[in-house]
Amino acid sequence: MAASSSAVSSGIIGKPRSTSTTLSFLPASSIKLIKNPSLTQNHKLSTSNCSTFSAPKQDFTCKSQAISSDNSALEKVQELHVYEMNERDRGSPAYLRLSQKSVNSLGDLVPFSNKIYKGDLEKRIGITAGICILIENKPEMKGDRYEAIFSFYFGSYGHIAVQGPYLTYEDTYLAITGGSGIFEGVSGQVKLHQIVFPFKIFYTFYLKGIGELPAELLCKPVEPHAGVEAVPAAKACEPHATVAGFTN
Amino acid sequence: MALSTSLKPISSVKLAEHRNSPPRSLRVFGSDFSYSKPCEFHGLSISSPNETSSFFTSSRSSKRFTTSAFFFNKNKQAEPATPKPTKVQQLHVYELNERDRSSPAVLKLSQKPINSLGDLVPFTNKLYSGDLQKRIGITAGLCVLIQHVPERKGDRYEATYSFYFGDYGHLAVQGPYLTYEDTLLAVTGGSGIFEGAYGQVKLHQIVFPMKLFYTFYLKGIPDLPAELLGNPVPPSPAVEPSAAAKATEPHGTILNFTK
Repeated sequence: MAASSSAVSSGIIGKPRSTSTTLSFLPASSIKLIKNPSLTQNHKLSTSNCSTFSAPKQDFTCKSQAISSDNSALEKVQELHVYEMNERDRGSPAYLRLSQKSVNSLGDLVPFSNKIYKGDLEKRIGITAGICILIENKPEMKGDRYEAIFSFYFGSYGHIAVQGPYLTYEDTYLAITGGSGIFEGVSGQVKLHQIVFPFKIFYTFYLKGIGELPAELLCKPVEPHAGVEAVPAAKACEPHATVAGFTN
Repeated sequence: MALSTSLKPISSVKLAEHRNSPPRSLRVFGSDFSYSKPCEFHGLSISSPNETSSFFTSSRSSKRFTTSAFFFNKNKQAEPATPKPTKVQQLHVYELNERDRSSPAVLKLSQKPINSLGDLVPFTNKLYSGDLQKRIGITAGLCVLIQHVPERKGDRYEATYSFYFGDYGHLAVQGPYLTYEDTLLAVTGGSGIFEGAYGQVKLHQIVFPMKLFYTFYLKGIPDLPAELLGNPVPPSPAVEPSAAAKATEPHGTILNFTK
């Protein structure tokens, strides 16, 4: 998700925001383009977080057939890759400086909504929508901690709801709190990897508790780098480059 | 307030469509690159696509599957695994705005004349059982306006809120609220009798924004008490709670209903 506008920040990718900020909410068009494509610091997160080998929960007799036929997929972890892009055409983010302080402070709220694309950047999926609650400015990291509560909308497939930390200076894991549609009953976590603050973010979902994901959503993802862009057809939402009923 | 417009088919219809496409996903299973990745990556084995089983082994043939699953199960039974029931329980409730809770509080923080990203709408309304005989409690939470949808003459919100069921506990939800059509929200959790709850809830707007009817599809919790499972009154613009429920007389409420 995209946090506060870069005019607020130092305006340079990879370099977390400076602490002193004379901020006001600026229209999206005035946001400076990111110049330095260096990635945010590489935050190595243990992958053992993602694998929980859980004991089978049901008896394997025919009784299990009475329950949803998706049970066979329930205990495995499925990976899903998504790119979130702020194309600056949704009025997002809306930085609400309710703390009325010159430095980002507890009290500031940042509702946002961006576009999401498949991991291979060939199809438009939908949008993200939610809010970042600023928790603390971290001068030593030249960035901020937010608590983020938002959803990913996958068109007719449904949505995934998440909650967790968004640090403008490093990768984080958020909790998957639930979902609807094909994601009904989902659990797990999602890794947020910021490519270009705050315009391009790459997510890796580790999903449990749902049936097998449809082929349309699974793909070999494009490796995240500063220059990633969705293919023109996806950006233009041409029918073959979107999922059915993509959320707009 | 505007009356409800005609409602689109609910998303659960689309849900059914996806559920009926197992052949496609089965074909994908063995060959998809990213599908095999979690197998190596996490050190987990992926179960065979055998839909009749709920197990998890490295074998893909259903014959070997059953055998190894049997031994596998035996080993695991030594552990005190907590059975997680996966049956779905339906729960119906009515959310009614009786205009006596100062709700909603529309915060036009975007400072634009039309509804825009930045507007926040905290709210709290009264909650009644589906049969409208008992006052249960309240809803409480926040709607974050995401975008105005002119072609539908309405708005998209991201809603995060809870349903309070008095001494029974509460249910927490998160998801889309569209003022112009029904939506499905995620059940993110709960407390009390709803501890461990997951699933989804269908939001059906009867009269925007005064009367809503919810159908919860809950998993992961013990059987709900009969008091909450009365026959729901079919939604219509004129629905009203029983006089006793509205007046919160003792026989018209659940125990310590949330005020």
